[in-house]
Amino acid sequence: MYRRYRRASQIAVFALMFAVPVLNLYEIYAITGTFYAINIGGLGIADPVVILQAMFAAGELTVPLLSAAIFPVLLALLLGRVWCGWMCPYHLLSDVACAARLAAATRILKKAEPASPAVKRSFSANMWRFGFLLVGTAAAGAIGIPVLNYLSAPGITSTEAMIFVKERTFSLEIGFIAVLLCLEFTLIPRFWCRFFCPTGAFLSLFRSSFTLRIVSETKNPAVPCCKESPCLSACPMGLQPYREGGNLLCTNCARCIDACPHQRLKFDGFLTARPR
Amino acid sequence: MADGLREFLERVFVRGQNPFVNNYAINRLRPPGAVDERRFMGLCIRCNRCLEVCPYGSIKRAGVGPPMGTPYVFPEQKACYLCMACCRLCPTGALDAHLRNPEKAVMGKAKIDPSICYSHLFLDRDKVPQGAKQKIGALCNTCYNVCPLQDKAITLKGNLFPVVLDGCVGCGICTERCPTRPRRAINVIPSGMGRVDEAGFYFGKARRHHDSAVSRAEKPSSGALKGEELLDRKYKIDGSRDASDFQFPYETSDQIEGWD
Repeated sequence: MYRRYRRASQIAVFALMFAVPVLNLYEIYAITGTFYAINIGGLGIADPVVILQAMFAAGELTVPLLSAAIFPVLLALLLGRVWCGWMCPYHLLSDVACAARLAAATRILKKAEPASPAVKRSFSANMWRFGFLLVGTAAAGAIGIPVLNYLSAPGITSTEAMIFVKERTFSLEIGFIAVLLCLEFTLIPRFWCRFFCPTGAFLSLFRSSFTLRIVSETKNPAVPCCKESPCLSACPMGLQPYREGGNLLCTNCARCIDACPHQRLKFDGFLTARPR
Repeated sequence: MADGLREFLERVFVRGQNPFVNNYAINRLRPPGAVDERRFMGLCIRCNRCLEVCPYGSIKRAGVGPPMGTPYVFPEQKACYLCMACCRLCPTGALDAHLRNPEKAVMGKAKIDPSICYSHLFLDRDKVPQGAKQKIGALCNTCYNVCPLQDKAITLKGNLFPVVLDGCVGCGICTERCPTRPRRAINVIPSGMGRVDEAGFYFGKARRHHDSAVSRAEKPSSGALKGEELLDRKYKIDGSRDASDFQFPYETSDQIEGWD
């Protein structure tokens, strides 16, 4: 049941990506910007990784810089990485690529394949992500330009949408998105979101005890509660949802909640503060 | 390619520059209100909001290279019309958000090449430009006519040929409209451009202009003109003001060529 809302949210954000430059062409400037930094009716919202890099690259910390990063950080504190699961335009493209991969595997190769190869250790995936973020930020500080911006999948996607609307063309960076999608289709599904994406890595740092998360209502959540475990193959991040609902990788996409045949997985967090 | 690599290595190892943040080229300008290039490259997050909001489509996105994705104005294609819409929208302060007065922008400084400029050629009687069979030239003065800061940025010396003044902000409208091809007779040297060999004599002037304009811009923008005040100021602009002190430096003769 969450699937419908999630798709609606994703498609709305994807449409917004094209709507903003169209509105700007008609000289309506209520919303301006791309997903690097967007301004909605005077409220400036920026990708916090971009702000982090600008701080290191320019060596300064200003109020407008910090205030732009507050909203995404607050959202991540309350709802977890919902930006990734529910809004990110690249994640939607990745969803499409992985669905195509699954369809190709079942129809053409005649073999069932999980949406994502189950990774036994989410720890290593997290270390990859944070290492990449750390190296990128250090590089930005060292050479004085925000280098991770060249590798920001949602930012590039929305910039390309803007360039397409304004100039009916694409710039070279779309090749990066194309390469990522091809790799996700052929080799490792979701590898960018799981192992590299700096924005997702930074947002997941703000997961706290009251952040929205997935909990299992079984007596012993450490072991799978049924043999089929459809939640395992449903999780795009390769987690074990019955056990790792609060993992830093989790995007709160609620695929596992929809997949569970026994309705044992539920959202938990600041919304449903219960004594423990 | 080899030249580019050699220049890159020279900048890193000989001059000790950061090659990623000091990219200058003539007629390639940052939007008005851009801070110092080094800070700009760090602060600009490539969100392209300035590009979206520019009503003239002047701001273009840089292609492959270290400044990829950052905004540039290429005055040969489309100059900046100094509406200052982009400054307000910059989320990180790479463009000074408090800058409202176009006269305080520091994009660069125009430089006239007298060997191409029609007005200069017209006055320089003996000079025949390379490749031309006869003397060409005209009292064109397009740059003066199109300048939004007439008599502050550019003046007509003796009502005859254009001279760039210290008030030039480098919007590049003169470059866009300059009729000479393929090279323009008036080009804009971006603020902070450190290439003395390219900027020549005008580099020092451009540098001083940039420093003074930056110090002016850093003060609170109390001098911003709006509404009636701005209109008054515009009505007061008078082309004849600076036109008196010209001395004709050419020898006159009684005989006129081709006159019997």
